[in-house]
Parts: sequence; structure tokens; C-alpha cells
Amino acid sequence: MLDTIINSLKSSGVYGWEVSDVKKNGWEFYFIRHELDQHRAKNVEHINVKVYQLTDEGDSIGFASSEIAPTASEQEIEKLVSDLSYRATLVKNRPFTLTPPAADQVSDGKASDIADISADFIRTMSELPETEGEDINSYEIFVSDVSRRLITSTGIDSTEHYPSSMIEVIVNARREGHEIELYRCYDSGTCDAAGLKRDLQKTMNYGRDRLIAGPTPINGKSDVLFSGSDACQIYRYFSERMNAALVYRQMSDYEIGKPICEEFTGDRVTVKAMRELVNSSENHAFDEEGAVIRDTVMIEDGVAKQFVGGRMFSSYLGLENSFNPTNIEVTGGSRSEEELRSGNYLEVVEFSDFQVDEITGDIFGEIRLAYLHDGDKTVPVSGGSISGSMNDFVGSMLMSKTSVQYNSMKIPALTLLRGVTVTGAEQ
Amino acid sequence: MKAHFSDYLIGIKSGLQEMIAILRKEYDYVSVLATDSHGLATRISQRSRSVSSETMTTERGIVVRVCNNGQYAEYAFNKFDPSKPEKAAAEIQGALEAQLVMLRLAGVKSYDTPLLPDEEQTLFVEKETQQLPETADVKALVEKLGAISDKAMTLNEHAIECIVSAQSTHICKMFLTEKRDLCQSYVYSEGAIFFVVNREGNSQVAYKSVSGLCGPELFDGLEGKLDKVVTTASELLDADRIEPGEYEIIASPEVTGLIAHEAFGHGVEMDMFVKNRALGKDYIGKRVGSDKCTMHEGALCAENVTSYAFDDEGTLAGDVTEIDHGILKTGICDALSALRLGVQPTGNGKRENFEHKVYTRMTNTMFDSGEDSLEDMIASIKHGYLLEGMESGMEDPKHWGIQCIIKMGREIRDGKLTGKVVAPIIMTGYVPDLLGGISMLSPHREVFGSGGCGKGCKEWVKVADGGPYLKTKARLG
Repeated sequence: MLDTIINSLKSSGVYGWEVSDVKKNGWEFYFIRHELDQHRAKNVEHINVKVYQLTDEGDSIGFASSEIAPTASEQEIEKLVSDLSYRATLVKNRPFTLTPPAADQVSDGKASDIADISADFIRTMSELPETEGEDINSYEIFVSDVSRRLITSTGIDSTEHYPSSMIEVIVNARREGHEIELYRCYDSGTCDAAGLKRDLQKTMNYGRDRLIAGPTPINGKSDVLFSGSDACQIYRYFSERMNAALVYRQMSDYEIGKPICEEFTGDRVTVKAMRELVNSSENHAFDEEGAVIRDTVMIEDGVAKQFVGGRMFSSYLGLENSFNPTNIEVTGGSRSEEELRSGNYLEVVEFSDFQVDEITGDIFGEIRLAYLHDGDKTVPVSGGSISGSMNDFVGSMLMSKTSVQYNSMKIPALTLLRGVTVTGAEQ
Repeated sequence: MKAHFSDYLIGIKSGLQEMIAILRKEYDYVSVLATDSHGLATRISQRSRSVSSETMTTERGIVVRVCNNGQYAEYAFNKFDPSKPEKAAAEIQGALEAQLVMLRLAGVKSYDTPLLPDEEQTLFVEKETQQLPETADVKALVEKLGAISDKAMTLNEHAIECIVSAQSTHICKMFLTEKRDLCQSYVYSEGAIFFVVNREGNSQVAYKSVSGLCGPELFDGLEGKLDKVVTTASELLDADRIEPGEYEIIASPEVTGLIAHEAFGHGVEMDMFVKNRALGKDYIGKRVGSDKCTMHEGALCAENVTSYAFDDEGTLAGDVTEIDHGILKTGICDALSALRLGVQPTGNGKRENFEHKVYTRMTNTMFDSGEDSLEDMIASIKHGYLLEGMESGMEDPKHWGIQCIIKMGREIRDGKLTGKVVAPIIMTGYVPDLLGGISMLSPHREVFGSGGCGKGCKEWVKVADGGPYLKTKARLG
């Protein structure tokens, strides 16, 4: 099948092409409490083709893409390639060259045993310390062995093989006839049994506290501490604003060699793109266009160092060896956890859906559980929301020296934003 | 013209039926959903232009559902040779048996579910469309979208980018069992304008969208949205932050749809009842909103992006009255959850695509309209906001919390719009309070179908929602 597609592309006379062939062998298990509701298996192949056309004058390039079903006939393939060749001439972009093969272009990985990984997840879930008050409502386990091959007209032919897993867990907590739930979704390469148990134990504790939480009392500004995975959204704001697409489109005003805010009174972030993080489901050797992924410092001590991104926008910015990052590591914290946990602040540990807009800088989140820290006194609260703008927080934010990893992001364990607007829930 | 049903699916039908017959010797129940959906997606901006045949719902593949001794299982694949049905049947049996071996070793107990009924039924539906995405004039479409983007840049001195997107998908699905043979073909389309402005470091994004159960002809209506997008962007640049607190609000139809979706869309998905994950289960027949509050859900209750003839389990589309004058009547339900709960399925069993499991999912979720004019609503408010533009939402069906991110609010004081705009807005609260506060509804309803909906943080499907202008009280921050 791939040969037929590539032969068709080669004979079509197009300027360039990329063929991605992803094969996925997956197992899925759906549990209600600890009883199996349904099991599923999949064996699929997805072939995607992108065709590039350069005008005769070389003053513009266009591209068009399509998935080609593995069951497509030769006639269907010929027609699809013909359609793509024509459609690519209709969209005119500034010219750029396609990703060439790199000297350190690699193929790596080996097949994963999805039965073993699935069994690890099932065993881990059966070993959780559930109580009468806090237990597991349901969970869904997804384990895949993925093989990804990329072949391009420039000579790239790389393959990688990797495991990809996800588990969604619903935790219940109940007290005096009232029951609530907490939602968790963990991505990883294989099953991180210890990490899963540790986090779900913490989640059950949060459930217990949420049942006794009072309404969030604050209406106004407060320092807000992030001690969970929601902080990833804050750090994605920085990495996204270093992406060539956002910079070229003028939606990010970061400039190389310049600080990312006018005045720092707090910590300065260092943001790195990482080829690998331990057990990340995003450990890729090359991006979707074949560019090799390398450890790269994007922001250092609050100063923009290196934009990264896809081939087109990277070319427009004149970036060498650029790529679309998959793993991110953030450092730069100057404080101990004890220092950050002193004084008066609101520690939000459960949001409905915490969001940070990378273009406007706006942040939002409804509070499902927070702890109001007032010196030595700590009170669980719920309801209301936080809001504000990263434009106001970047210069004064504080981070812990300690770090924690959430799949493809390794970030400071604690992050403190100062002067966040809190809308309380008290009547 | 009719949206022509897939020749590919017709070509593999007899092979699939043979495969079903082979599998039926081993399983108590066997069904097949086969899909072949094609699309067109075009995205034009000042700095990037692309065209693709892929949209959120394009796919070609097969999923087989089987059941033995009350245990359901599925196998998804996309390399089926209709001349070798026995090979596919063996592959399916082998894969599912390998899972059972591991599950037995792990000592896993099974959840027992009754057998799905299988009664004689045939259906062949080809819905009307003016154009198909496969044969659309892509050149003309690219030029049309480019002209909109170019024009937008001339309308505001602070413009930095205008992205115009247009997507159209021709859905073809075939559901087969021993006794059932259902085929459907329809086209839906959606388009949007995203306008980005920046003034002295203050970036804002305004957008407007169109959607419908139709072909690429829908995109003729995009340019009509441009003036509103540009005006909104200007207003956002001058917007103030809202003073946090509880206010009387008027939700525009788009925000009304968001409330419908989050409040008693997710809250009455009955697969959540099976897991005891929704408070709504205990409130059937009880008051959850004011007398003015009536809500419908179903593929038949509006014509938009998810108005299909049958769902992904072969249940015919429905129209359910979820809330009738404030009283919660029922939820929406997929076929397996219905068996477990002892109710009838409502035609809401949906998959992200053939690779994914069925869940109970929304289709069109709508508030009914009322008789109050928007002018009367504004006149009735001492201090509040008219809320416009939906960004995102999140629900908590177990606790009835709700979060809605809204683009902007127009201040109302002493019964009049003051001209002051606040943005952005996060609306939070307790669903029965929000619906219980509904006091006025306008006669005119609108449907919006340009977004997607996840279940938890995954399983993205197309949905539509909407309703009239709606007055209630809410906490804004």
C-alpha cells in the first residue's frame, strides 16, 4: 500500500510530499467499580499524505493533505493524489523548503507488550486503599503499542515504536448521605503504579475535604497557589508563546534576547523542550514533519532564547534545526516549599476546568476545592472562581525549587500567582 | 440533491453480513457499524493557507460489537477484505479471546448486562444537500475565504490576523446485525471567522461561526458575520474587568445553548446514571428549574450538525423532553445503558469515531422559547449584564456545579444598556439556582453547532445547542 502511494506521488510531479503511516494495536478496559463493563481491542492503520506545490516562479508554496484508507484501491489513490496535487496549487503561502534529513536522524523503539501493561494497570487499581468514605466509582484503561513511520520526498525515512497509555479514574467521596466525585485522567508511556497510587490517595483525601468545605469567602484579590497538574496550563502559556506560529502571526510579542516581561519582582522561568522525560507518552524522536527533536532551551531566566515550531513558520523566522516540541521542562524556582506555603494564600487543588489563553493571557477556573491558608489555620473551601491575566502575573510569580512531572511536562511542584481575582461563593 | 450513500460501504456489505453470520455461531449478539465519511477543510489567514480532506469526523473503518454471557466486547479495525469474512472473524475472536485470557489471570469479575434485542429493520436515508464536500469548488471557496480575511484586515487599524475556516463532512454510516440493515448519508458544514487585534500589548480574539445540516453552500453566509466580528474585537479592546458578584443576566442564544449543554445535557446522560455519577438520577419527576424552563434533546429536535437518522448503535433518532416547565422528566440514553436501567434508548449512543466506545452523548440540546421581548428583558434589570459569545463550559453532574467561560457582557443599569462592555467573564453557580432563576425567555431561538464536546477530557463528538434570549441570575467573575 505505502509503495503504491509513494510511487503515485513520485510520478505526480509535485514539488514535495510527506507520508505518515501510524499503526496502532490497542487494548481498552472499562470498569464500573471493579467489575468489567466492557473490553475492546483495536488494530488500525492511518496513512496521511501531504502534498506540496511550488509555483513556477518559486514565489509561493501550497499544501494539501488527506488520509488515505488502507483499503483504498489503486484508482482511489491515484485520484486522491491528483486531487491533492491540484488543491495544493490553490493555497499560496510564502515559500519555504521542506525538512531535510538530519545527520542524527534516528529510528528507535521496540514493540510493547500491551497485555503486560494492561495487567499492571488492572492490578494497580485493585490495590488502592479504598475506604467506606472514599472509593473508586469507575475507570477506563487504554493501552496502545504504536508504530509511526514518516517518509518524505527529501529523503527522510524514520520509524519509531512506543507505548502510549491513559487511564481515566472517577473517585467518589461520601459523608452523611452526600456523595461527590473527583475526576482524574493520567497519560503515560506504561503504567506508573507508584505514581498512580500516590496521586489517587491524594485525590481521595481531597474528596474527603471537599465534603466539609465551606463556600469560598473571598471577593477580591488573593495570592493563589497551584500544587497540582493545573499548573501545567500556566507553563504551556510560556511554551506556546515561544512557538514560531504564534510569533510569526504576531500573537506573541516575545523577542529573542529580551525579557518576557518588563519587570521581575519574582522568579524567572527557564523553559526547555525535552527529547525525553521519564515514561512520558510524548517521547518522540522526530516531529510530524520529520524534524529531529532535541533538548533545547526556549526561555532562560525569563529571557526568550530560542523559538521552536513547525517547518513553515520556523522557516519564515529563519530558525535552524527547529521542531515542534512534545515534552517541556520548567525550572527557575527560588523558594522552598515551606517558604511558598507561608502567610495568607488560597491553594486551589481542584478546578472544574482551569484555562490559560495563550493569546490574551486570560486565566479562568471554577474552584471545586481550595484550601484557604491564614497563617497556621487552613480551611477547605469550594465554589466561586479565579480569574485574571498572565500579563499581570508573569513578573511576580514564584516557584518552588522542587519539581514534579505530569506526563509530558516537568514543572515546579508549587507555583504562586500574586494578586489573582477571586470571586467567592458566599451569598 | 441527495447525499449519495458510500459505494465503498455498499461494496463491503455482503462480506460484513457473512462475517456477522460466522461470528453469530460464537456469540449471543453481533453488530457492525461501518463508516466511510469524507470531508473538506479549508483554513485561510493572512499568514497561512491550507486545504485538507480531513475534518473532525472523517473516517473509514469498522467496529464489531459482540456479547457472550452478558459480557460485551468490541473490536475496531480498518483493513477488511470482503472476500475473506472468515479471516476477519478469526482475527476478531483471537484478539478478544487474548484479552479474556489476561482478564481471567487477573481475576477480574464481569458486569452482567442483558442481551440487546435484534428485530427486523431496514432503513436507507440519503438527506438533501445542495453541494458535497467531495465535489465542492475548492478554488472558489479558497478565494471566498481569502476575500473575507483580506477585507477584515482593512476594517480595524489594530488587526493583526484574520483566520477564516470552513469545514464540510459527508457522513456515511451503515449498521448491520443478523436482522437489521440501516444506512444513512448526510452532509453537515461549519465555518468560522477568528479576528485577532492587538493594541499596545493588549491582544483580543473575536469570533463568529455558522453551522448547518447542509453542504459547502453554507459558507455563503460567512461574510455576513464579518462586521459583527470586527465590532466585537474593537469592543473587547476597550472592555473593563467585571466587578465579581451575583447579577441579573440575559443570556444571548449562544450562551443559552452553553447553559443547556452544561446544565442538563451532561447532567442527564444516562450512562452516568448507571455508574451513579449524576445527581439527576434522583431528581426525575422533581423540580430543577422555574416554570419557564423547558428543555429538549435529540437529533430530531433541530436540524444541525448532528441531526442523524440513527445513532452509532442503530437506534433511531429521537426528541426527548428533558425538562417540562421546570420538572425533570427524563434523560438521554444509549442502548446498553438503557438495558441496564430498564428504559428505552433515545438515539443518543455516539462514538468519537469507529475506533471509540459508545457513550451516551448529546445531539441538539435546546431551551424552548417564551414570549418576552429582549427589550422587555433589558428594561426589567436594575443592574446586570447581557452576556454574549460562548468560549467553553464544564459541568459537575454529581454536584451540579457549572462553569461557563463567556466572551463579554454588556452592562445594563436601570433598564438600559450603558454601552460599557466587560470581558472576559467566568460564570459559575449551582445548576438548580441558575435554572430556577429563569424568569423571561424570548420567542426567537437559534441553534449553534460549530463546537465539539468531550466527555471528561476525551471522546470528542459534534453537538449543537441553543435556545432563545433567557433572563436569570448568576455569579460572574
